Amino acid sequence: MKIKLTSIYVDDQTKALRFYTEVLGFAKKTDFSQGPYRWLTVASPEQPDGTELQLALNNNPAAKTYQQAIFQQNQPAAMFFTDDVKADYERIKARGAEFTMPPTDVTASTIAMLNDTCGNLIQLTQLANYSR
Amino acid sequence: MTDREHYTPGPANVAHIRKDRGANDDGDEKWTLVLVRELRHSPEKVWQAITDPAHLREWAPFDADGNLGEVGTTVKLTTVGAPMPRVTETTVTRADAPELLEYKWGDFDMKWELEALSGGTRLTLWANIGRRFIAMGAAGWHICFDVLDHLLSGTPIGRLVGPEAIKFGGWQRLNAEYARQFGIETPNWPP
Repeated sequence: MKIKLTSIYVDDQTKALRFYTEVLGFAKKTDFSQGPYRWLTVASPEQPDGTELQLALNNNPAAKTYQQAIFQQNQPAAMFFTDDVKADYERIKARGAEFTMPPTDVTASTIAMLNDTCGNLIQLTQLANYSR
Repeated sequence: MTDREHYTPGPANVAHIRKDRGANDDGDEKWTLVLVRELRHSPEKVWQAITDPAHLREWAPFDADGNLGEVGTTVKLTTVGAPMPRVTETTVTRADAPELLEYKWGDFDMKWELEALSGGTRLTLWANIGRRFIAMGAAGWHICFDVLDHLLSGTPIGRLVGPEAIKFGGWQRLNAEYARQFGIETPNWPP
């Protein structure tokens, strides 16, 4: 058994695909449709066969309520790990993303938070290396 | 032994495509899939099969919670076999029985035309669809129309959609043949 995929609800899959690829820099992995249903995933180019993120259309009222509530509480819907959060912050900001938190030191990590424009906050995390 | 076990789709000659103007939001070209099928059944009988939920359930890739045969009716369409429930609501915009039917399935414009032929009906479906999925759509509808033909002829073989279609060798062959005809790459599915 493996953890191979996680999902994030988005209010528009086309817009989400553009944001997650062109702004965040992920690559489209699987794009499959059956009638109006669309299975859409992205993966990191650093790990093309690694964990996939499913961009799932949020047409579920219960999920919408949850999504809006955690957004208002400034809680991220997903976290991505990076080796250089400041560089990613600059790169992603330069492509037009709105950060709700610039890189900030917290216990054991440096984190930043951005709005994915599809209903979610995304946290970027760089683990601290105290041995250095 | 059932007819379903012996069913093999014919050659990929039921569908063609037409390029539309413009592009959709993700830059994918807009195309319309056109499927033409001659059936040895009256337009009235075919009309019932494409509008009545009890009939649709026997062959169509969606379930309807109401009759599609009346203009202005709002009907929920459920994609059959999708990994997560996908229900879209549509309002019938045209229903000239037994000739012309128009509504949307999700973002797709669905237009059905029934032309009376001597002893039958020429059924044409226009459905717009993203270019990269157009061969899959053609293969799926091709099989659905075969199932519809069996149903109308009184020899039903059972609905073949979603996972039932994809794991079926006939669908995979049609998908590849239509992709070749339409000049597109087959999507990486099944993976």
